[in-house]
Amino acid sequence: MLPPSLSTTVPEGDPTPDPGSFRDPANRVLHADGQILRGLDSRAAAHWQALAGTEFFRSLSAEGKICGTELLAPGSAPAAAGRWAALLRHERIPVVSYPYEWSFTMLRDAALLHLEILQAALSAGFTTKDGSAYNLQWRGSEPVFIDVGSFEPAREGEPWAGYRQFCQTMLYPLLLQAHLGLDFQPWLRSRIDGLETGQLRRLFGGIRRFRAGVLTHVHLHDALQARYAGTGSGAVRAELRAAGYSRNLVRAMLRSLDRLVRRLDWRPPPSHWARYRETCGYTAADREAKERFVGAALAEAGRPGLVLDIGANDGAYARIAAAHAGYVVAVEGDPVVADQLYRRLHADRERRILPLVMDLADPSPGGGWRGVERAPFAARVQADAVLALAVLHHLAIDRNVPLPEILDWLLGFLATAGPAGRLVVEFVHPDDPMAVRLLANKPAGLFPDYRRDEFERLLGRRCRIVRRLELPSATRTLYVGVPRG
Amino acid sequence: MDVMAYLDAGSGSLIVQAVIGGAAGVVVAARLYWRRLTGRFRRRPPGDRD
Repeated sequence: MLPPSLSTTVPEGDPTPDPGSFRDPANRVLHADGQILRGLDSRAAAHWQALAGTEFFRSLSAEGKICGTELLAPGSAPAAAGRWAALLRHERIPVVSYPYEWSFTMLRDAALLHLEILQAALSAGFTTKDGSAYNLQWRGSEPVFIDVGSFEPAREGEPWAGYRQFCQTMLYPLLLQAHLGLDFQPWLRSRIDGLETGQLRRLFGGIRRFRAGVLTHVHLHDALQARYAGTGSGAVRAELRAAGYSRNLVRAMLRSLDRLVRRLDWRPPPSHWARYRETCGYTAADREAKERFVGAALAEAGRPGLVLDIGANDGAYARIAAAHAGYVVAVEGDPVVADQLYRRLHADRERRILPLVMDLADPSPGGGWRGVERAPFAARVQADAVLALAVLHHLAIDRNVPLPEILDWLLGFLATAGPAGRLVVEFVHPDDPMAVRLLANKPAGLFPDYRRDEFERLLGRRCRIVRRLELPSATRTLYVGVPRG
Repeated sequence: MDVMAYLDAGSGSLIVQAVIGGAAGVVVAARLYWRRLTGRFRRRPPGDRD
């Protein structure tokens, strides 16, 4: 089932520009009455007319690979649409996420979708102006291309203008992880335009330069960038055309890029899984009781629209939540576990659970121009229910975050939920084996407040506790809280 | 139809794509280099000097 997509009501409020959409002056994403619009200048409007008539665009949209888009009739456009020659209305993506919150395989699948769409577009005489990972979003575990304003007619004899951006925001992060085993997320998060070719070249010295794709896409690419730094790209385009560059060469390049991206794989060392299993010390009885509790808590919440599962692990509770809710965002701090979760969800073609990877003690901040081009995680997720299962002790003991801070953070996601909002939280007692192990790494007496009675007091001040269950092993307690208005 | 790029595609990033395209692309890249090389020795028409 698809989430609610195109609305039929006409937006009445004044459209406000999306702070993350300004790089291409020809079009801009706007928000009006909760709807996602796109303003097009006269040239972009002409491109849209041509694009909308193509078979490739219609079929990829019908398959869900390009986000649903329609032209707003001139009479139904908001009066304050301003300078735009035409307005499009897009399907609403349930929760916006960014490439630095995606796992390795998510970024790879997003890259492959971008290449697939570009290849289909080329066959119809179109190209994309850019090649950014930010052109893509997710419906659960299915990627979707959202930048409809990026399509323009292809010019014969010209290479793909988006290639460099594709390298910087997708290919290089994938090479970094596949070949060097380095998590790419912190690199993408700290650089809005992605990884520079020169940076990557320095990481791929010695025999590493012979790893798949590195010699051409990194070393040769960087050498040519340095060699032609003083030559304008307009002149180079003309020279390439004169030398016989053709659309067939663009296709050959894209096929080669597609083959390379498909070959890139990342498997974590087995030691990682050994460590991971140590953290999953549940008895069957505990797990069963916990699953029943979570299911019942969400069932009585009256089908929440959005559930945020913090510390999603293998996604067992996200799947339970999906049975009771419209959409689930499953956030996991471990990139390996998150990638495994994505692979399973994607194999099931699960469109209502979005897996994300994020250090929970360091949630995504705002970024880019003025810190608003990319919104902070907390501003993008307004949940109706929050699950925080077997995660609180990691934040409180491992990362020293005070319990009241953790509760305030979790409840912040429910700020707009009203009386239907639910916080389902698990408190791991200090005598639980996992808590004991974490506490052993800290000086004795460092966390005098990490006690069940203190946690209940803090939770009770913020929420009406409507359900409580001590798990059979008697070292963990589950709570359902309804935030106090 | 009129088109307009908003992104600096990067001169080196445009040229490297020829090589990635395989043998035919390498031929184009070689031709480009040959033209640049011979262009240096070609007489420019009057008025085209900077």
